[in-house]
Amino acid sequence: MTLLKVDNLHKSFGKTKAVDGISFQVEKGEVFGLLGPNGAGKSTTISMISTLIPPAKGEILYEDRNISAEPKSIRQKLGIVPQDIALYPTLTGYENLGFWGSMYGLKGADLKIRMEEVAEIIGLNGRLKDKVQKYSGGMKRRLNIGAALLHKPELLIMDEPTVGIDPQSRNHILDTVLELNRQGMTIIYTSHYMEEVEYLCSRICIMDQGRIIASGTKDELVELIKGQTQISLKLDKPDKGVLEMLRSINGVAGVELVMDEIAVSGENVDMVLADIIARVTEYGKRISSIDVKKPNLEAVFLHLTGKALRD
Amino acid sequence: MKIIRIILKDFKTVLSDKKALAIILLMPIVLMVILNFGMRGVFMIGDFGDMSRINIAVVKQYDKTEDIRRFDRTLSSGILSRELDKETVEELRKNSEDVDPEEIFLGDFLGSEEVAKIIEYRVEEEGKAVELLNSGAVSAVVLLPDNFIYDMKVNILMPFRNKVDIRVLTHPDRSINGQVVQSIVEAYSDAMSSVIIGKNVLMEAAMEHDLGDDGFKGMKEAMEEISRAMEGIRVDIDNVALEGRKNISSADYYAVAMMTMFILFAAGHGGRMLLEEKENMTYQRMIAAGTPGLGILTGKFFTVFLIALLQISIMITFSHYVLKVQWGGALPVMLISLASAFSVAGVGSALAAATFKAGNYKMANIFETGVIQTMALLGGSFFPVDILPSVFQKLSFLSLNGTALKAYLKIMMGYGMEDVIGYIGVLTATGALLMVLSALILGGKGEAADVKYNKIKAVKAQG
Repeated sequence: MTLLKVDNLHKSFGKTKAVDGISFQVEKGEVFGLLGPNGAGKSTTISMISTLIPPAKGEILYEDRNISAEPKSIRQKLGIVPQDIALYPTLTGYENLGFWGSMYGLKGADLKIRMEEVAEIIGLNGRLKDKVQKYSGGMKRRLNIGAALLHKPELLIMDEPTVGIDPQSRNHILDTVLELNRQGMTIIYTSHYMEEVEYLCSRICIMDQGRIIASGTKDELVELIKGQTQISLKLDKPDKGVLEMLRSINGVAGVELVMDEIAVSGENVDMVLADIIARVTEYGKRISSIDVKKPNLEAVFLHLTGKALRD
Repeated sequence: MKIIRIILKDFKTVLSDKKALAIILLMPIVLMVILNFGMRGVFMIGDFGDMSRINIAVVKQYDKTEDIRRFDRTLSSGILSRELDKETVEELRKNSEDVDPEEIFLGDFLGSEEVAKIIEYRVEEEGKAVELLNSGAVSAVVLLPDNFIYDMKVNILMPFRNKVDIRVLTHPDRSINGQVVQSIVEAYSDAMSSVIIGKNVLMEAAMEHDLGDDGFKGMKEAMEEISRAMEGIRVDIDNVALEGRKNISSADYYAVAMMTMFILFAAGHGGRMLLEEKENMTYQRMIAAGTPGLGILTGKFFTVFLIALLQISIMITFSHYVLKVQWGGALPVMLISLASAFSVAGVGSALAAATFKAGNYKMANIFETGVIQTMALLGGSFFPVDILPSVFQKLSFLSLNGTALKAYLKIMMGYGMEDVIGYIGVLTATGALLMVLSALILGGKGEAADVKYNKIKAVKAQG
């Protein structure tokens, strides 16, 4: 059953097209992923779904009801986890939860009970009396999620909820997302971390420059680059010359420098691995590490856009 | 319900911000104390008149003709005439004709070049003079008492001293000018007193050396000298405020002045609140939770209102118990406080809406660093407005703090509710108008700030 339908959505800020005609559907009970680099248009899309900014064109239907026409009733069904920590740092965790619960109309005993339940879900029940400014980054992120869960939303929209936190807190959040989904909550999860989207989402839209460049299940997306293998090389001071040399090798379809790694891709490019090593050595560069990767969403993005997700 | 929660949250947030608390609460109390002690004795406060030239009315409570006739009778039939020969008495009578105490006071003294630079006088009937004082047309009324001419002639020409009480009526609203008039008349009195002592010593010496009538014969020259120099005569001067009115001390004035200025900082603080919420994404989160923007704005309005009321309560309590400031009737003070806080809340919400729309803190900064100081100057928070240039005085109506200050001072002086209801109305109406304006600003068309904000976010993200 379709819970949310986004149809031909557009939004510009000045001359910048933030969202350029995207369409997708979110089914009830699924974790839907929006994957893309920073600036791809994910947050703008989320803001429009959250009724915070109106679309310039197109429509968003929630259970077949246009959210622009009746935002008030639909807002109650949505839980928004913004990318920024939208909390009051000088108040305690308890005060923050109380305030956000009251913004969704909860009060009295119902609010208190729900606050305790949420504190349990996000694993902060022992720290709610502390001021938020004393929390670690991971704890703030968890409270940021908790504030969106108080009113038991049907659709939880999470915008890059794990940015800037330690691996332990990230794992806690990812597990929380899966648990909420197991309890029946539909979730839209945006991230530029390919691993998170792969781990959590049943269906994924890949966005770039305001457009959806691919969508489907993880397997369907990987199918797009069937046979495409990626080799990551770490060299001592890679230069343009070595990149050109690698591109000239038969069987190599793409070469990109991502951070300090060279991503070499191509159909069954692992078959020419020996040739790659020999040519690099011959070029006078020392290889510090080699990693042969199976096709994944990172490779899909690289294949579709010619650039890495973290660009 | 949501608005109450927003107000409580904002209030908690402000109370947990030590820097904001220092500016909003501690600073005015410190300044109140410093200015009170610093300015004590330097000038009297509460004056709204023209310092450059003080208008006064002089009231003649005496009957000049009767006084002269009486003095002549005294010369003829008094104990003095029995001791003097006819020639001396005649000499004194002639001297008396030349000595005119009225002319000495009005012409030689008030009309002298030095005094005329400061004081412009007119002679009026008593009823008219009080009317002029009440209307503010004059700053003081000098009452020349009954028997003034007679007593002065006796003091000048005879070896006696009759008490002369020259009274100065002042208006509490113009107590600086009243003090100036009092000081000038006191100086006259002191000069006259010192010379009359000399005159009496001269007469007593003449009698002691049995010069008898010769002592009086030489008085004409002495008295002409006295009248020219306005010397002699003991005068008691009372500075009497209008009935039922109290003058304002430096402690009173600066308690009100600092309080009415610093509540404007609550507006400055409130002016930042909306944009801060937006930058922290809590504004968007509240909107997403179904809270209307107008509701959030109303929350800010009442938060500023409560902060201002808290400031007022603390400062009134502090000044009352520590500086012994008497604020006047509880009900009018409470109503002025509510109206002042309401107007400040209006300023705060308008500033918040404008700052929010602009997407930067320039307006709030300008308000705090420029507008508040200007309002403070124009409204009399630094000095009473009457010592400012007349152009500034005309602009003082633009300052909310000035309006509140006048209202509080009136109640301190003992005026009634009917005298301040206009000020309360102005403050309340200003607050209401500004609230409507802020709603229009926030609800107005234009997505400029959102676009700008999102662009910044996008640049940040891409960077």
